[in-house]
Amino acid sequence: MDIFIPNSWLKDFLETNASPKDIARYLSLSGPSVEKVIKENNDYIYKVEITTNRVDSASVYGFAREASAILPRFGIKSKLKPLKFSSKYNFFDKVKYLDVSLDTKLCTRFTAVLIKNVTIKDSPEHIKDRLIKIGLRPINNVVDISNYIMHELGQPLHTFDYDKIGKSKMILRESKKGEEITTLDRKHFVLPGGDIVIEDGDGKIIDLCGIMGGKNSMVTENTKNVLLFVQTYNPQRIRRTSMTLAQRSEASILFEKDLDEENVEPAIKRSIDLFEKITKGKAENLILDIYPKPYKTKIIKTSLSFINKLIGESISKEDVASSLKLLGFSLKWNKDALEVSIPSFRSKDINIPEDIVEEIARIYGYHNLKSELMNGKLPEKLLNPPFEFEENLKNILSILGGIEIYTYSLVAESLTNEHSLKLLNPLGKDTEYLRNTMIYSLINAADANNSDDESFHLFEIANIYITKKNDLPEERMMLSGIFSKYQYVKAKGIIETLLKKIRIPYSFEIEDKKEFLPNNRLVIKTGSNEIGEFGTLENGNIYYELNTSLLQKYGNIIKPFVTPFKYPAQIEDISFIFPERTKIGDVMESIKKLDSQISRIELIDMFEKSYTFRIWYQNKSKTLSNIEVENIRKNIISKTMSAFGASVKN
Amino acid sequence: MREEIISLKNEAIAQVMDAGSSNELEELKIIYLGRNGKLTTLIKKLKDIPAADRKEIGILINETKNSLTEIITSKKNKLSSSAREWFDPTIPSIMPPMGNLHLVTKAIKEISSIFEKIGFVRVRYPEVEWDYFAFEALNMPKTHPARDEWETFFVDQKPNDKYGQVVLTPHTSSGQVREMLRVKNPPIRMINIAKCYRRQSDISHVSMFHQFEGLVIDKDISIVNLKGTLDYFARNFFGKERKTRLRPYDFRFTEPSFEVDISCDICNGKGCKLCKEGWLELGGAGMVHPNVLKAGKIDSNKYSGFAFGWGVERAYMMKSGIKIPDIRYLYSSDINILKQY
Repeated sequence: MDIFIPNSWLKDFLETNASPKDIARYLSLSGPSVEKVIKENNDYIYKVEITTNRVDSASVYGFAREASAILPRFGIKSKLKPLKFSSKYNFFDKVKYLDVSLDTKLCTRFTAVLIKNVTIKDSPEHIKDRLIKIGLRPINNVVDISNYIMHELGQPLHTFDYDKIGKSKMILRESKKGEEITTLDRKHFVLPGGDIVIEDGDGKIIDLCGIMGGKNSMVTENTKNVLLFVQTYNPQRIRRTSMTLAQRSEASILFEKDLDEENVEPAIKRSIDLFEKITKGKAENLILDIYPKPYKTKIIKTSLSFINKLIGESISKEDVASSLKLLGFSLKWNKDALEVSIPSFRSKDINIPEDIVEEIARIYGYHNLKSELMNGKLPEKLLNPPFEFEENLKNILSILGGIEIYTYSLVAESLTNEHSLKLLNPLGKDTEYLRNTMIYSLINAADANNSDDESFHLFEIANIYITKKNDLPEERMMLSGIFSKYQYVKAKGIIETLLKKIRIPYSFEIEDKKEFLPNNRLVIKTGSNEIGEFGTLENGNIYYELNTSLLQKYGNIIKPFVTPFKYPAQIEDISFIFPERTKIGDVMESIKKLDSQISRIELIDMFEKSYTFRIWYQNKSKTLSNIEVENIRKNIISKTMSAFGASVKN
Repeated sequence: MREEIISLKNEAIAQVMDAGSSNELEELKIIYLGRNGKLTTLIKKLKDIPAADRKEIGILINETKNSLTEIITSKKNKLSSSAREWFDPTIPSIMPPMGNLHLVTKAIKEISSIFEKIGFVRVRYPEVEWDYFAFEALNMPKTHPARDEWETFFVDQKPNDKYGQVVLTPHTSSGQVREMLRVKNPPIRMINIAKCYRRQSDISHVSMFHQFEGLVIDKDISIVNLKGTLDYFARNFFGKERKTRLRPYDFRFTEPSFEVDISCDICNGKGCKLCKEGWLELGGAGMVHPNVLKAGKIDSNKYSGFAFGWGVERAYMMKSGIKIPDIRYLYSSDINILKQY
């Protein structure tokens, strides 16, 4: 959470000659991060980021306390000024003006005081000015005091119109499911149950504790007597209610971070002082205070050797002690062993020796520590890591003209197949599903570029997510791509080059599927395993996808070394005319299989129905004679004529 | 003298016409036009000629020289089996279509290679993950307000009794406990790079992005080692002159926790509009919390460790000075954008 702290207000509690710039810089280095210093009129306003664990510094006073611990280490004298109160207060667990029954699991400290005869009007200028600087709108003196104290001390307070509390009685309890309340901002809620609420003597629910008060008991301009109310609540309950009802008030954001019960006392005392001064009301002498488990000093045991081991440097006992004392901790040494007493305001976030190390190290200064790489043994490598292999696929494709693309794996329902994983809380309809296919993402990507007349090839390697029952989905790494305005043979050539480069044996089989033109889709196989697909889509683009882990599994085949043929090949061209719809791939395969002495065959020309093949005849132990070649040729011609209905073109 | 030149010219032309190879032509060139060639010798004699004739003879010699050069060149071009035609080597080339790797791929390649050099092992863990590994095992119980920082996507699937809901992993830290359970006995030096998802979308945030997570666990691992590793990375990735600093922060899964800054390259750390007082925020880091070690079945009395997890896109943009005005451009399909990476 971010809070604003005017420098002038800070100076109420911090005695220092540090400049605002110094305060911002040094606090950021060793404490809460000052994101910005805004100059305004004669003042500076710090925008400070408070982390979840440091709610004790989420106030002007808390920030001053941090500053007083941090600045001396940078050679700047600073002192925290104590809070001042008038001295007439008495705390007691029973008072005449309010009868309370309390569930102490829900409320760890309950204080309240009756202030009579208040006058509701505008706040004085200096209060208004400070509220405006921290981004709040002044309302009236009662509301403003609440906001002022909350900002100054980090403790929310609440005010009731005392005369609206039925029979001056309060029962603080868990809500039952279905109970209802209208809060003072006029919102109506049906409670989920288990929320902290207060019921008055008439059975009305008058407060949704820690979130917002009830409209039925709120202070209005006609209010005469105010019940001032300062509590700490069970943080999990507050968070649950505030999340379920989506009511994130400033108070609830503080309460859910587990506030310090000891801070309640100064908060109610400061508030009474302000009420009496500003509203001219008169507080009762006895303050109601139900506090069944007062703070007992928490002690964390650690040792100098542990501290130095985790920091990585030898910090002297003196430095350890001075850092901790600046923060308000006290310590007891016993040789190496150390006992640290934690003040109440830090007792919620300091729980283990590592927390003590953090406090010492940050005050000592992280910038004062050395910087060294670790020694020690190196871990074992993974057995078959996929990373280099995938990188290689990308390199090959990009060298062959492919442009790599990253598309979102969160897609609309129309861009994925059935049984895709669905999100419970998507950002919108167009990112509601986790895709289980890449095809639609790539079709979309190609379409986004179709105004361009040039041909292009886009590809992507990404996971698709395949639903599994009662388990995490299978994450399948796919290489997919799309060719636009590419010649079919060139696109196919790129994919075959890729397959050859990664040394995977492959074959094609025609098998139709949705999105592809009929008789246009090739299943790519290695042995009997399907590893991918390739073909022309309905829209004319050419799409392919390959499963990268299968490519890696079956690829990288190292063939035994073959001595190159000593005897030269005889090369000749033969032209055939084929009937329509002859699959030339099949023809060439059949010719190649006819004789082991056909070492190579290529299609070198085609025109209408005529196809010219170049054929290499070669024997590894001799030069083939013309007669031998003629015999093979005759065989080729007769088999091709009979199997494919071809005729030889002269 | 004039006759001498003309007959020399005729003799030369006859021999050039007869020549059958370019070697022969080269020799003829030397004989007539070389430093001690026949024509060159005549030029040297020019000074002995009466001044009145000198100009005319000079012109004649020059013409002869030019025409011989031309004849030899043209004969040379006609010669040999290739019967060379005139060729223009300045003609523009035809380039194969130029492909390109995506910026994110380039960044990941660079980041992993820097860490692999100091013994880190790159791993990959689920992008769709159990709540347990994303939060619970990282010391973030269900009700903890710290969870708000991770605006998490939940999957519409029945929760598992042990591991809770299915989430899209909002950070690579989900791999920490998985890595501990895989390795069992330290040393661990992990670099986990993966897609992450968060419910966010504006000019500096996208709902899908990449993170890289470092995790080191061994005996005696300290804050000093974390600083050493971050400095090593910053020097190699961002450049020698860049510095890092640690600031206190709060993460539930590390104690102490830090925010890591890198010195701004625009102003060299002096402070400018693009940075905070000379520093840019890189991301979080910290010493692994004992509860996280415990979840990973590692004895926290024996071992300690550190971890850090940063955005790939963010780090790369801070390095390269590529000023991309809107981070969502990274996931654009526009070729004109993709070709720039």
